[in-house]
Amino acid sequence: MVQARLRTVSVMEKTTGNGPAVVFTGAVKTFGRAERTVRAVDGIDLTVERGETVALLGRNGAGKSTAISLLLGLNEPDSGGVQLLGSAPEQAVRAGRVGAMLQDGRPIPRVTVRELIAFVASTYPSPMPVPESLALAGVSAYADRRIDKLSGGQIQRVRFAVALAGNPELVVLDEPTAALDVEARRAFWGSMRAYARRGNTVLFSTHYLEEADENADRIVVIDHGRIVADGSGDLIKESVGGSHVSFDLAGGPTQGLELLPGVNAVEIRGDRALLRTDDSDATVIELARLGRVRNLRVSPATLEDAFLSLTSPATDSESETV
Amino acid sequence: MLPYIVLEIRRTLRDGVFMIFGIGMPVLMYLLFTNLGGGGDDASGWKAFSMVGMAAYGALGAAMSIGTGVASDKSLGWLQQLRITPLAPSRVVVGRAISGSVTVLPTILTVLLAGALVNGVRLEVWQWTALTLLLWIGALPFTMLGIGNGYRLTPQATGVVNVACLMGFAIVGGLWFPLSEYPSWLRSIGTYTPAHRFADLGWATTGGHAPSAGTFAVLAGWLLLFGAYAVVSYRRSARTV
Repeated sequence: MVQARLRTVSVMEKTTGNGPAVVFTGAVKTFGRAERTVRAVDGIDLTVERGETVALLGRNGAGKSTAISLLLGLNEPDSGGVQLLGSAPEQAVRAGRVGAMLQDGRPIPRVTVRELIAFVASTYPSPMPVPESLALAGVSAYADRRIDKLSGGQIQRVRFAVALAGNPELVVLDEPTAALDVEARRAFWGSMRAYARRGNTVLFSTHYLEEADENADRIVVIDHGRIVADGSGDLIKESVGGSHVSFDLAGGPTQGLELLPGVNAVEIRGDRALLRTDDSDATVIELARLGRVRNLRVSPATLEDAFLSLTSPATDSESETV
Repeated sequence: MLPYIVLEIRRTLRDGVFMIFGIGMPVLMYLLFTNLGGGGDDASGWKAFSMVGMAAYGALGAAMSIGTGVASDKSLGWLQQLRITPLAPSRVVVGRAISGSVTVLPTILTVLLAGALVNGVRLEVWQWTALTLLLWIGALPFTMLGIGNGYRLTPQATGVVNVACLMGFAIVGGLWFPLSEYPSWLRSIGTYTPAHRFADLGWATTGGHAPSAGTFAVLAGWLLLFGAYAVVSYRRSARTV
């Protein structure tokens, strides 16, 4: 709590205006033409306060990248609105208040890391000193090498340095750790948190649940272009509720398990039954009555369970007719 | 905008393939065309004529190759990354055209140097100066055409289209062989190509007089057309990101 307040104060010092960093109001973006259109973003309402670190969590094709392109002014919503730091996205970008790392950005050949970062910094009104953004992104060691000679993980960090170079108030990262190995990923999130601690706002998209849970104050779950959940990881787990009850079948029957009180899903893994239940007490009491308690275990639902129950896989029907 | 121009010039100068083919090819062709086959009775006239033609050809090629760079920047996502920096889109386009122009200059200078040092072409100082400047500035319509292709097409398609434009212009415009050698119908088409009028800036200069008003008018028309094409293509590329 105290920490949160301290952070708010430092944000106030840093930014000129007040109000939220990001506001989506009923934003809709449709692709395609005539009969075959896809509502990539289908009415998003979202407010991100300054200083927050927010994860946009969703499957591939859920609409995360489209939402980010609306946020950065690369696309315009068909209806609804998007505000960035109190102004239109394009204005906020033009004023140098935003830095971004896009999903499909690849390095441009024949420039060194330092040259690239120095150039990007030069386009911003009050950039970070170049050595500082190099250090923060963890690329100082190869600052004088050409970008096309770097490894995938190193390039990803360079792209992060590009996002930081202008010392923006808001950093937007689209799938920043795709194609990184575990160690590079950990290092990346370390850098990201260091930047967020300075009072900056960070919005990142990911389809890795653990990343969202570990690195964001708040998770916004997007599915089929809509927000289906919004809150801390714990809050989202609670909202879905439920827990797991598992026990050894020991050769016993599997039919009828789904009829036990509270149970809404049954999975058989080898000789073990996994029940998902809304009322673990009732389920366990009934199992005990049936004498099926060998190696019985009750565990709370995971974020993965919550995510799976909140979202549905992409299907052909995703191309809705509008 | 200046740092952007510097960055792009740096990238071009480090492109070995461009430096060898963009600059080397026109010089090589010039020396071959003027020193093989004896050259006939007006050898020194042909050496000056071909020097301008080949310098124009080199400038044209260098200007259009900027478009290939733009197309590959687009496919890398670099144009999109530029759009989320505070750099205004118009500055990106103008900056790219200027940085491209700077790389056009060495192509012109090497052919002119070869003309002066190897082939012994003799001109007044003002003629050398005017020749360089006119060919340099006159390449602008082709820069616009190349950039327009780059914003609109994939890198592969841009490469092919640029080479096709370049060869077509060089031949029909009379940069490799004088238009006077052509049948009359092709000659009359040739005189309206931007490439012919572009080279005419140079031929007028080596001839010791100012280029005609018609040449300026035709070039200005092409500049407007290609410039509009570049702007429309850029808007289109921006819309479909």
